[in-house]
Amino acid sequence: MLPAIILVIAFGGTGLVYLAGRVHPRLRDVLAVLSSLVLVGVISYGYGRWGQLTWFSKFLGVDLSLRLNALGWFFSIYIALINACSMVFSLSYMEGKERLDFYYSMMLLVSASMLGVVLSGDFLSFYIFWEIMSWSTYLLISYKRGLALHAGMKYIVMSLVGSCVMLVGILSLHAQYGTLEIVELRGLLAGASGGYIAFLLLAMGIAFGIKFAILPLHTWMPDAHSEAVSPFSAVLSGVLVRMGMYGFLLIMYSLVGIKTILELGRGAWDFHLLFSWLGALTIVIPTFIALLQDDAKRLLAWHGIGQGGYMIIGMAFGTSLGVAGGIFHTINHGSYIALLFLVVGAVEYRTGGVRDLNRLGGLMQRMPVAFLGCLVGIMGLIGIPLTNGFVSKWVIYKTLIMEGRPFLAFMAFVGTWGTVLSVYKLLHNMFLGQLPQEYSKVERSPLSMQIPILFFCLVIFVFGILPGIPLRVIQGVQREMGFEPLELTLWGVASDTGALNMLNICLALGIAFAVVFLVMRLGPKGRKVSQDDSYAAGSYVPADRYQHSVEFYNPLYRMISPYLKDRADQFCYWIADRIGGLSDSTRRIYTGYAGTYVLYIVAFLAFLIFVQLVWKTW
Amino acid sequence: MRIIHVVVSPLIALTVGVLFLGLSRKIIARVHRRYGPPIYQPVIDVVRMMSQRSISHGALFELGVVLSLAGSFVTVLFIPLGGTEVSRELHPLAHGVLCPLCGSGGLLVVIYLMLFSPLGLALGAGASANPNASIGVSRKMLLALAYEVPFLLVILAVMSHYGTISFTEVVARQQQGNWGVLSVPLSAAAAFLILPAMLGIRPFDMATAPQEIASGPLAEYGGPYLALIAVQKAVHLFVVISLFVDLFLGGGVNIITFLLKMLAVFLAAEMINAVLPRFKIEDAVKFCWKWPTALAFLQMIITVVSK
Repeated sequence: MLPAIILVIAFGGTGLVYLAGRVHPRLRDVLAVLSSLVLVGVISYGYGRWGQLTWFSKFLGVDLSLRLNALGWFFSIYIALINACSMVFSLSYMEGKERLDFYYSMMLLVSASMLGVVLSGDFLSFYIFWEIMSWSTYLLISYKRGLALHAGMKYIVMSLVGSCVMLVGILSLHAQYGTLEIVELRGLLAGASGGYIAFLLLAMGIAFGIKFAILPLHTWMPDAHSEAVSPFSAVLSGVLVRMGMYGFLLIMYSLVGIKTILELGRGAWDFHLLFSWLGALTIVIPTFIALLQDDAKRLLAWHGIGQGGYMIIGMAFGTSLGVAGGIFHTINHGSYIALLFLVVGAVEYRTGGVRDLNRLGGLMQRMPVAFLGCLVGIMGLIGIPLTNGFVSKWVIYKTLIMEGRPFLAFMAFVGTWGTVLSVYKLLHNMFLGQLPQEYSKVERSPLSMQIPILFFCLVIFVFGILPGIPLRVIQGVQREMGFEPLELTLWGVASDTGALNMLNICLALGIAFAVVFLVMRLGPKGRKVSQDDSYAAGSYVPADRYQHSVEFYNPLYRMISPYLKDRADQFCYWIADRIGGLSDSTRRIYTGYAGTYVLYIVAFLAFLIFVQLVWKTW
Repeated sequence: MRIIHVVVSPLIALTVGVLFLGLSRKIIARVHRRYGPPIYQPVIDVVRMMSQRSISHGALFELGVVLSLAGSFVTVLFIPLGGTEVSRELHPLAHGVLCPLCGSGGLLVVIYLMLFSPLGLALGAGASANPNASIGVSRKMLLALAYEVPFLLVILAVMSHYGTISFTEVVARQQQGNWGVLSVPLSAAAAFLILPAMLGIRPFDMATAPQEIASGPLAEYGGPYLALIAVQKAVHLFVVISLFVDLFLGGGVNIITFLLKMLAVFLAAEMINAVLPRFKIEDAVKFCWKWPTALAFLQMIITVVSK
């Protein structure tokens, strides 16, 4: 019963919020936040209450069913939390913008359809919710009109290609086995041939890969992110893209099964190794492209693609530890990338829509909470110890090294260093250095922005220091899929071949920090000076032009930018151009003059007569 | 016992690091045919700076320095500083491994903990609102990217050669068999080539170049803050050289042999420091991505193939 209740609340909330907007805007805001918070409550109540129900029998001869299991619950709570946070953030961010009834109900519709995807028990409901998700996302991406329409179009075209391929996969399942029930299919697929499994993985994999933005299929993402409004970017990059991860987990381990996946292909064509290498490329190339970006949201979007590579490597590797790392990295990434998009949103809100990294600076003095959010967010993104990103990366690295894949581990590590450089640039160019005169009166972010930012900071540290809490839930997910359980402690991973103890690291850092701080306090206290009172080796300093942020890593740009063209994007545009040209030449047939059509008819009749005269066909 | 180790390890790092800094100035002076300051000159400097008053650009400006030094001290706790479990009968002076937190995460944690000190300094320097500091940080980041590529290859080759992520295990395996410098020789050569870059000494001192960018990130610091940065430099020197000794020279059966090996590595690095002028940052990146990376890459292929 529970999955049905969750979906009724989610979809009901959507309609209700739209109607409330007609009555009073305040009522709409309250209802939107309330319904997203109620969802969090109901879903967390559902932990451990697994079950399945049929919600529509014999739709086109197939029973539509919903189910709640460990994997579905894990993703549901993650969707609901991030959505609730971005709802609260929207309150002030969206204030005074147009078509707000539409915006709020679409935000709720996106999260409702995502909940539908992770709670469906058969592939037809899965497909229906997947399509609702794609379309509502399209509407939200193009919310701002203008350039956003182009970004939305790019997204929906790629998304439709994916849906079509996925439909082929689903139909083949139905033709083969006569059912779409995931639990039943799991048993039936055990006897399937390797070729059919490969076909199925490819068909579904393309759809999930497009949503997930794996390397050659990523091209919609940077545009979509830079054009969407910030609270939606947080949802988009934090959870919506990760529906692809849910899809991969579903077909690879819930449907096909771990043993078949690991035995699929041989030699150089070993499936899980090829997939891991795709993940490795997805880490390195986008991360270094991110380094070249000057638009804060575009930079984060490229990191969103790059971090996906870690999840793919962990998941594709197929060991208990690796898959745990991949799943854990999914929620960790959700927490800090959502946080960073919200921070950029807060800066945008206070500076009047500026997110060009060359025009900001010094905002730390004016917006301390946003700065804190940005700092914690980039620490998570890099994976500095004490943040949750560190634990999941540690788990993935350990898998790769212990399984004897140092080159994959190397790719993952280099990606981390690319991240260090580009996110420091993000932090520095927005919050550090000199505060330009035009922003000297900027105010702090409003409370409704501070609450989600601080909430995410808390999550990042709690999961980083006590990773046993989320890992225990992941253990349940893995048990369901048939993995050996991990040896866990509350503060890390227990193992003979190298354990992890975050509590020790935390204590050591805390004590060292306190001791050094006290030593510093032994000396005389510093005299506070203004930012213009700085050492310039005796040269004249023009006011307001004293910030090093444009081309922050100039020497490196010159070295690497020739190699980092987005070839996949260029290829897609080339295809789009060709199709456009083809359609255009087809259009020329229809000139709109009656005379031309008469000419066509006469020519056609002449052709028929000619055929009849020569070959006597009739 | 472990508590005592936790206190002793950073103190050793501090003493030896500061001593090495003094020695460094002395060696360079002798190579330049000067007399040089006394070997305890850094101690005098730190004490003097602790009593002077500095300017401050706000809380982050001060906390960045604290974070940087704390990060370096914590890294020391994860590095085995001599001692052995495997060959104690052979050496009468050997003692147990001096590494209080080795069991909490292994080599992977060391790589990440080493991020704290540059990050702390970068945050503090960024808060100082001096463009020279920002340029210095930008150079430091680029240099780090440059040497991390070969360094990660080196560390991964060592870890996959010994099939473990535990640092004590890597050291123990070397003490039983060949040292790393014999079993992974190309990695050792690569690591030695990037040693000056990791230490930030000539020819790779462009991040804190005094003549070009007013010492970069340090431009605005003075008084107690500068004293802490000097101490951080000393501890960082200790961390990097002890990493080299542990990865390639078999650690030490006791702390004395460990420190002697460190001294040898340090002297070799100082000889380069004394005679070479500063690289441009572009050239430094190109250098690191050419020879050290090629050597480390070759070693990794050999390691993977021979497994």
